[in-house]
Amino acid sequence: MLSFIARRFAVAIPTILILIVVSFVLMFAAPGGPFNAERPLPPQVLANIEAKYGLDQPYWKQIFDYVWNVVVHFDFGPSFKYKDRSVNDIIAQGFPVTLTYGFWSFVVAVIVGVTLGVVAAIRHNTWLDYLAVGISIGAQSLPNFVMAPMLVIVFTLWLGWLPGGGWNGGQLQYLVLPVIALSTSYMASIARITRSSMLEVLNSGFIRTARAKGLSDGRIILRHALKPAMLPVLSYLGPAFVLMVTGSVIVDSYFSTGGIGVYFVNAAFNRDYSVMMGITILMGALTILFNLIVDLLYAWIDPKIRY
Amino acid sequence: MFSRTTADQLAGVANAQAVKGRSLWQDAFRRFIRNRAALISLVLLGFVLVFAFFGQYLSPHEPDFVDFSLRRDIKNLGAPSIENAHFFGLEQEGRDLYTRVVQGTRISILVGVIGSLVAVVVGTLYGAFAGYMGGRIDSVMMRIVDILIAIPFMFVIILLLVVFGRSMVMLFVGVGLISWLDMARIARGQTLTIKNKEFVEAAVATGVKPFTVILRHIVPNLAGIVIVYATLLIPQLIITESFISFLGLGIQEPMTSLGALISAGASQLGFGTPWMIGFPLFFFLITLYAFFFVGDGLRDALDPKDR
Amino acid sequence: MSLLQIKDLRVEFQTGDGAVNAVNGVSFNVEKGETLAIVGESGSGKSQTAFAAMGLLARNGKAIGQALYEGKDLLTMSRKELNRIRSNEVAMIFQDPMTSLNPYMRISDQMAEVLQLHKGMSKKDAVNEAAKMLDAVRIPDAKARITMYPHEFSGGMRQRIMIAMALLCQPKLLIADEPTTALDVTVQAQIMELFGDIRKEFGTAVILITHDLGVVAGFCDRTLVLYGGQVMEEAETEALFARPSHPYTRGLLRAVPRFDRKDEALLAIAGEPPDMSRLPEGCPFAPRCAEVRDICQTAKPVIAGEAHRRACHVPTEELSHV
Repeated sequence: MLSFIARRFAVAIPTILILIVVSFVLMFAAPGGPFNAERPLPPQVLANIEAKYGLDQPYWKQIFDYVWNVVVHFDFGPSFKYKDRSVNDIIAQGFPVTLTYGFWSFVVAVIVGVTLGVVAAIRHNTWLDYLAVGISIGAQSLPNFVMAPMLVIVFTLWLGWLPGGGWNGGQLQYLVLPVIALSTSYMASIARITRSSMLEVLNSGFIRTARAKGLSDGRIILRHALKPAMLPVLSYLGPAFVLMVTGSVIVDSYFSTGGIGVYFVNAAFNRDYSVMMGITILMGALTILFNLIVDLLYAWIDPKIRY
Repeated sequence: MFSRTTADQLAGVANAQAVKGRSLWQDAFRRFIRNRAALISLVLLGFVLVFAFFGQYLSPHEPDFVDFSLRRDIKNLGAPSIENAHFFGLEQEGRDLYTRVVQGTRISILVGVIGSLVAVVVGTLYGAFAGYMGGRIDSVMMRIVDILIAIPFMFVIILLLVVFGRSMVMLFVGVGLISWLDMARIARGQTLTIKNKEFVEAAVATGVKPFTVILRHIVPNLAGIVIVYATLLIPQLIITESFISFLGLGIQEPMTSLGALISAGASQLGFGTPWMIGFPLFFFLITLYAFFFVGDGLRDALDPKDR
Repeated sequence: MSLLQIKDLRVEFQTGDGAVNAVNGVSFNVEKGETLAIVGESGSGKSQTAFAAMGLLARNGKAIGQALYEGKDLLTMSRKELNRIRSNEVAMIFQDPMTSLNPYMRISDQMAEVLQLHKGMSKKDAVNEAAKMLDAVRIPDAKARITMYPHEFSGGMRQRIMIAMALLCQPKLLIADEPTTALDVTVQAQIMELFGDIRKEFGTAVILITHDLGVVAGFCDRTLVLYGGQVMEEAETEALFARPSHPYTRGLLRAVPRFDRKDEALLAIAGEPPDMSRLPEGCPFAPRCAEVRDICQTAKPVIAGEAHRRACHVPTEELSHV
């Protein structure tokens, strides 16, 4: 098990480094260089950057300094746009918001999706099953940027139940629409995957054995069927996490939550490279970390992987 | 934007093909014809394609012409109307929405199809090469894919678009960049099973060079799975493009795409002009569903095991 | 009272292509401590008969008739009552030991839960008891290996584990559904030997479901021959082998390699097993039967006889001797 963890780390760490270096190189490859794009940078900003990286230094030294700062000090450097804010300030402001509704979206997607899938599988070929399948097929192709305006039309403009944007410290009514918008399509995918894998497990020989033992249906599902049925779901969670991280950009921009996505989009418009890089690296590192956790969970559930 | 499970589900296609040989395509055709949902979707898809590529001839208006006479009061004067031939009404700038939707649908489909072609060519060759060579080359090549697949690519695409300027070409490059990874995995997996078949061994034994074997004998046998995958990839890439355009970072004015139109419509939600989001959303969803169901139908048709 | 009485059991499956009748009016008894073999080709309904009695039919299957265990009908009793009998009084072993153990649970957990459920034991006692039982089925080093996962055992070992698990509550009846089919020949012999020992030691009644007449001969008191979901013949095993009175049984016996008669060639029964969704109106075996008469095509034969029961329109004396 330990060597398994070590090997996963051995892949994860270079991946993060590659991500950092690639985004840095990308920035330097910009026509005209990063620091004198169309507009000249404000003198104060230029001074910040100068102090941090030394623009007279050769590129490789700048790259090295950047990577060193990021990896060792978690310091993404000064913003290219705002003279008095660093990338770390911006992340510190936006990230907790995104993390909050992102976390709840993930929890909702997994719990509702798995429950829906399990119920559909247990009640196979009943109206409940058809309903669950219908909902998930429909919802699976509803991207978050379609969900978001549709939710606002229904719950804000028609019914007037919920605010169509804002954050307000993460109060419940401000949390609801972002969470639904972000989680719906992944919930649907999880439900579909759970249903089909649960159906397969329920038809397997060892479930018949469990029934022959005299176990109740509930115990059979919980003790015998759930774990193996979760394996395909678990392998979907990695990609789902990437998609949700990506989707948070839409949610942040559409619902004005003040999350990290807004800063990313603004930075994209302002050509604030260091903020874009900082957020890209942060999200990339999170994803890689999450995939690592998924791998470990997988190994924990499936005894055949353990070595 | 795709999940690993799609790859797994597809894995059976080529197997079935290898076993069944020549009659497969006839069998598949018969199965596809019997699949009502897929057939209806195919008709729908034909309708969308005709609309996207010939729809402009139905309207006297140009997509970039601003109708100043109606612009002052779009809410009342700009509603959909047969009389002034603004079938879908006006959008927020006073341009004809019908011709804009035609143009947007066309561009969204083009991005999807071209991106999918890039993915198929790059992914198939990469995967087939890795699988055919095997050994260390294979494991290094696939490890690279593992690493890349863990990165939230949307951020990198946006970084790319900002650094190198927003253009159609850059969008194709970016979209192509993320989409070949899954194809590479699938192609590799299938190549591993095909390369031990007699006809490949015969070719190798008679001294045919590796590249020729891959192109002549391996790639043609991947055709079934590639077609299915490419069809399912198109809607996913349409979603990707729309996502970026929704943020305002994709297709630039005066051109448009469905994502840009949905974004514009969504920003006007509060002003009593529901047609601005309704029509683009309608065409977006039917395009997606048509591609998804046709792809699903093709998969079922080519992979009888899955029924 | 018989331990198990199956009365006019029918099993029907609803499929996309219409109803399939897997079992069509099967009746038989199992006495305490007795060993009964149910023999038939694949698709003859032998496994489904057992599954129906245990309430283990697939979702689309339905059982009609009676399956009386100590007088109580297993088919109509509540799920709760049935669960009290399963494994505790009637245990079952399945064909494929590779898939019938849960690959994601330790052997100890899988075995202990049976005792915890039926005997109310603590986890610790249950695991100890389970280890003893593994010893009894001759798994070496049972105490240490009980915490392992199924994939760490060979096929034969897994079937031993299944047998140990089935015996945990010392059931009165053990149903073994083709327990040796998926195993190597040498392992088959060992498993059958184990069954013999278990019978002696625990006095458990056994229903052995098999297509292998060779296995039956040395092991079972009585043999029931199924074809097309119907009983063709039933008798004491020795009597059945010595004087088979049904054309199908005779066909089966001719298809078994024997060492005591050198002159005979091995003969397969001509034709295909019946299509269970379109059974013939008359005797299900009629299309393949060498002794077929007109009446066989139109009327189902009724099973008759006392010690030696048979379902055939043609009297035994009139059958040609081959």
